[in-house]
Amino acid sequence: MTDSRTHVETQILSVERPFRFESGDIIPRLDIAYETYGSLNERRDNAVLIEHALSGDAHAAFYHEGDRKPGWWDCMIGPGKAFDTDRWFVICSNVIGGCKGTTGPSSVDPATGKPYGLTFPPMSIRDMVEVQRILLKHLGIDKLKCIAGGSMGGMQALQFFCDYPFQFESFICIASAMKHSAQQIAFNEVGRRAIMADPRWNGGNYYGAAPPEGGLSVARMIGHITYLSEQMMQEKFGRIRKDKESRAVFRPSFEVEHYLDYQGVSFVKRFDANSYLYITNAIDNFDLRSSLSSRGRFRGHGRQRGQHMEDMRSKRGLVISFTSDWLYPSSQSKEIVQFFTALNVQVSYTEVATEHGHDAFLTDYHQPSEIIQGFLSSLSEKSPSPCRTSIGS
Amino acid sequence: MHKISSQNYPIIQEWIDRGSRVLDLGCGDGSLLEALVNTKQVDGIGVEISHDMILKCIQKGICVYQADIDKDLSEWVDGSFDYVVLNATLQVITRPYKVISEMLRVGRFAVISISNFGYARNRMRVLSQGRVSSRVRLSGCWHDTPVLRFVSIREFISSLEEIGVEIMDARYFFPMNIVSRSRWPLYNLLAREGIFKLRRA
Repeated sequence: MTDSRTHVETQILSVERPFRFESGDIIPRLDIAYETYGSLNERRDNAVLIEHALSGDAHAAFYHEGDRKPGWWDCMIGPGKAFDTDRWFVICSNVIGGCKGTTGPSSVDPATGKPYGLTFPPMSIRDMVEVQRILLKHLGIDKLKCIAGGSMGGMQALQFFCDYPFQFESFICIASAMKHSAQQIAFNEVGRRAIMADPRWNGGNYYGAAPPEGGLSVARMIGHITYLSEQMMQEKFGRIRKDKESRAVFRPSFEVEHYLDYQGVSFVKRFDANSYLYITNAIDNFDLRSSLSSRGRFRGHGRQRGQHMEDMRSKRGLVISFTSDWLYPSSQSKEIVQFFTALNVQVSYTEVATEHGHDAFLTDYHQPSEIIQGFLSSLSEKSPSPCRTSIGS
Repeated sequence: MHKISSQNYPIIQEWIDRGSRVLDLGCGDGSLLEALVNTKQVDGIGVEISHDMILKCIQKGICVYQADIDKDLSEWVDGSFDYVVLNATLQVITRPYKVISEMLRVGRFAVISISNFGYARNRMRVLSQGRVSSRVRLSGCWHDTPVLRFVSIREFISSLEEIGVEIMDARYFFPMNIVSRSRWPLYNLLAREGIFKLRRA
């Protein structure tokens, strides 16, 4: 697996039994799309779980046959990279509610033979975690070296680590938050409204007809503005006009307009509008602190709070933020550090200087790679982790 | 800066109780915390501003928090630590009183070491050449040295009284590698450095 153009295929795990959501809703069956990179060692203890963000999928690294572009975090996953596939067995799966192979609102409801649409149960970040536990069990992995993700992926990493600390030696949380602020919810809500205001959305019932591309692309355009920094936008586009001669009124003429238009149009080809609604809703409702004090916390494995605290002690964490990320500002990452430090988790924090805004977690790989490599290596050099086998889970 | 800071390690190790929680301000490459983890099994976190130093800490498995000591200590809750260490870094701090008071807010005890500006050789350099020695400046010239504060041990001690901080223990470093617990006569002239264990009076 050393060829830089290593090919990989998305696998589907079909789970032919009901899945119960945190809300109590049940669906009769479930598909989980996932990919793996590198190989699992004999002791089955070199696994690293990668969590994707809002628009991501299971294809985190390497190439699909015939594709010119690699997976979304190929700069971080591969031989010699941050998540070195020569050392670690890296797993990434598509979240529940998504549209890239894992069951979501665009999947067929076996009860009706039609896509779920809005009859799909509202899901949470914790539901995403529970689905991945099914996958890990299938892969025969109950202890992981690390769980890592950026943005929404960071939220999943934190939730998974807190709900099942005995399964992980460490977590890495990049450009993320313990919960969304009013501003973050507000941007997501504008995106959702754009979709729902598109007549083609039709109450979420558009499968088999023309999808609400207009609304979804506007949602993506808004999202994209929040992913970039003002400085970067100014440097990249300024007030440059693409077609100076055009006399048409209200046609995109500024470079930045064309850029956003392109982002919107290319997004609708690969993303489902209902998934966008469901996933952003899960992100907005995520609140790590309150989820840990809620009754649902220990579901399925009957562990006591004291045991949980003990499992967290001496575990390691790494939190990374970016200076120009105003969507997930450094203050939110520092809050994560303080939260876990108070739980006696050994958390390190670094703020990477960049002008690439929130998008930096996907593009600025140099400094984070050094840090992540150092972090993962220091884990393996330390004495074997006090991870217990996951009894009763 | 490095030589000064590591000579204090044995003293800091002696002062810090086994298994305590330690915050090391300006932790550099994490070597003090590493020593404290190995000999005293402390639960330690370093605060550092330089990316290169942070990387070194992380590679060692030392917990590190990127922050500016002058600004960001307010994020830590009162009494989060048993000891807060400021080893050979006081000279580069913009607001030393604020930092000392923050150290004793987030920690029960503070350990601070300083280089003595009143040391004979430093005085001689000023007298003979009309400039501070490069030893005092640590690095750079007058316009780019990180050192902002030129403090003598005597001044430092009287400042501590002024702000209601009590010296629990101290060591003074004299030439010929002589380390003393007590203030000798002419200590402010003869000691190169001093290190202090402090708490709120």
